[in-house]
Amino acid sequence: MTPPIPPGSPPPATPPSPPPPASSPADADKRASFEREALIHLDSLYRVALRLTGNPAEADDLVQETMLKAYRAWHQFERGTNAKGWLLTILRHAFINEYRRRTRHPETVDIDAIEPFSVFEEIQDDDPQGTFFDRIVDDEVLRAIDALPEQFRETVVLSDVEGMSYEEIARVLEVPVGTVKSRLFRARRLLQQQLYEYAVGMGYIKGNAT
Amino acid sequence: MNCRECKEHLYEYLDRELTPSVMEEIRQHVTECPPCSESFDFEKVFLTFVRARCRAQGASPELRRRILDELLDE
Repeated sequence: MTPPIPPGSPPPATPPSPPPPASSPADADKRASFEREALIHLDSLYRVALRLTGNPAEADDLVQETMLKAYRAWHQFERGTNAKGWLLTILRHAFINEYRRRTRHPETVDIDAIEPFSVFEEIQDDDPQGTFFDRIVDDEVLRAIDALPEQFRETVVLSDVEGMSYEEIARVLEVPVGTVKSRLFRARRLLQQQLYEYAVGMGYIKGNAT
Repeated sequence: MNCRECKEHLYEYLDRELTPSVMEEIRQHVTECPPCSESFDFEKVFLTFVRARCRAQGASPELRRRILDELLDE
């Protein structure tokens, strides 16, 4: 039982209403370490999300959801390990479980059947140094990446956009390193082929293919 | 190492994903073989090009604010 407080006496020792609930020292520590170790990867998460969803608004939502999930699971993250990989794994699961159904349909193409040709062999006489690439603008490259089958797209994005190692990519995609290698090989060749065909179409380079 | 073997490891070589001794074997072959040297250079140009074209985009300041606000509410 609380004794009645006589009128005019000072308020109880504990502050009456601590400001927002998240202001305990433990919460502040958690938030600070999350900002320091996780939030610095925000741009990377956004770039990957944008290529997965193909839509800036969906990418924003996916990243926000990922960050919230990551924050709630922050105690499970092993400090000093690869936070970017950990966050991307969460992002990818969220995408597969919730977004892919709404945005893009799961893949129906058989990526193993894709055997792109070597662009170098097509152009080695005309433009062996690949100077035609210089004329292709950013948007066109992004469009070509977006046109890749999903398994190729995510591998290329993690490697060539995010600069991750095969080992890190394998962990995020939950496939063996050998699969990363073969997907990356075919994905890059396919991307190259699409950009080459675009360049031929635009008249940046002479086509030999047909 | 012959041309075919080198080409099989082309991207692993450019991504520096091979052991130092294999890296060296390929490097030696490529410096001595003009056709391989040309095709390796072409792939290198391509990778540099893709990377340069895709890095610019990042999260918007609004998204960052939305996330920070949300963390405060947690």
